Amino acid sequence: MLRARTSDVESTRSLAAAIAAVAASGDLILLAGELGAGKTAFVQGFGAGLGVDGAITSPTFTLAHQYEGRLPMHHLDVYRLERFAEMDDIGVSELLDGGGVVLIEWGDAVAPALPKDYLEITLTYGEGDDERQLELRCVGSRWTARERVLAEQLEPWKAA
Amino acid sequence: MLILGISTSTKQVGAAIGGHEGVLASSHSARGKRHAENLAPAIDFVRRQARIEMADISAVAVDVGPGLFTGLRVGIAAAKAVAHALRVPMIGIASLDLLAWPVRHTSREIVAVIDARRGEVFYARYRPTPGGVQRLTDPIVATPDDLRADLEANDFDYLVVGDGGLRYADELDGLVGLEVAEQHLAYPSAASLVQLAHAKAIREDFVQPWQLAPLYLRPPDAEINWSTREGLAPGEAR
Repeated sequence: MLRARTSDVESTRSLAAAIAAVAASGDLILLAGELGAGKTAFVQGFGAGLGVDGAITSPTFTLAHQYEGRLPMHHLDVYRLERFAEMDDIGVSELLDGGGVVLIEWGDAVAPALPKDYLEITLTYGEGDDERQLELRCVGSRWTARERVLAEQLEPWKAA
Repeated sequence: MLILGISTSTKQVGAAIGGHEGVLASSHSARGKRHAENLAPAIDFVRRQARIEMADISAVAVDVGPGLFTGLRVGIAAAKAVAHALRVPMIGIASLDLLAWPVRHTSREIVAVIDARRGEVFYARYRPTPGGVQRLTDPIVATPDDLRADLEANDFDYLVVGDGGLRYADELDGLVGLEVAEQHLAYPSAASLVQLAHAKAIREDFVQPWQLAPLYLRPPDAEINWSTREGLAPGEAR
């Protein structure tokens, strides 16, 4: 488990961009944390890190948005889903097979329906209003193999 | 009676129009995950090639899977929209049936296999019968190893057809009496769909658009545990 701390939303975006720098085609990232914790901000920073042009907005009502950067980025939000079968309609494994990175807001809730190979990032409120604590958990070989590289990337936001 | 057929359960997008006279026009493209972009132009293309108007279509047939979810969603939504707009009934046919149909003249038992991604396949077994094929097993999702074990347990000669068979040909290699059909048979075709649907249409074996559902074989339809959605109190440990 890796831990990090950000002081405000910009710093959450910068951290996400640092993780994007080590992302590879076929990566799956689950974002956990309550409303306002910074999941969408994380994806915005991640997209900027991949070189995505233009605004990245929450796909809560559209389920999935796609962007072109260094790698294709698929931004999903499963908040509105009620049943695992609805995950079928999104076709996560096809998105992963097709190359690119898939980021899923509220992804922890649908983990049983996902390949067991992902990075789970949990954002929680810190002491100050804008402060956030992040826990990063590597599940499966893709991310555990990169855990050290990831730790190096997170050095500037290392939690005390 | 003219039938519009739509098949999008694999990476291939297919549309065809046919009826008593057989297939009048068909279009198939397999250039990667462009179902939403390619389907409507394909339907318009076959309509023009068949030299008919949309109003001449009296049923819409659609490949209901199993297959790739994103493709199925596009194809079934489009097929339902056309059927609704034209006020015509629908015919749903399984993707695996469409794979088995073109190889019905074999003497072997047929195994239709679609690549389900994530290291799994959808498959069903068929027996050739005069004029068609008879499905022997319900479509299931399985690993290539499970498929191999299933085929090994029987003493038939098999013809394996579909993109799943081609992708996992190595896993099936060495099975006695087994042959994998070539690439041009690898995807369910809209032309087969129109032919099979025509036989059903003659028997008036229709469904209404709201009755038609895709054949998703996984995962189980459990409810998502949304205790996390309600949110933990700030700072509370998970």
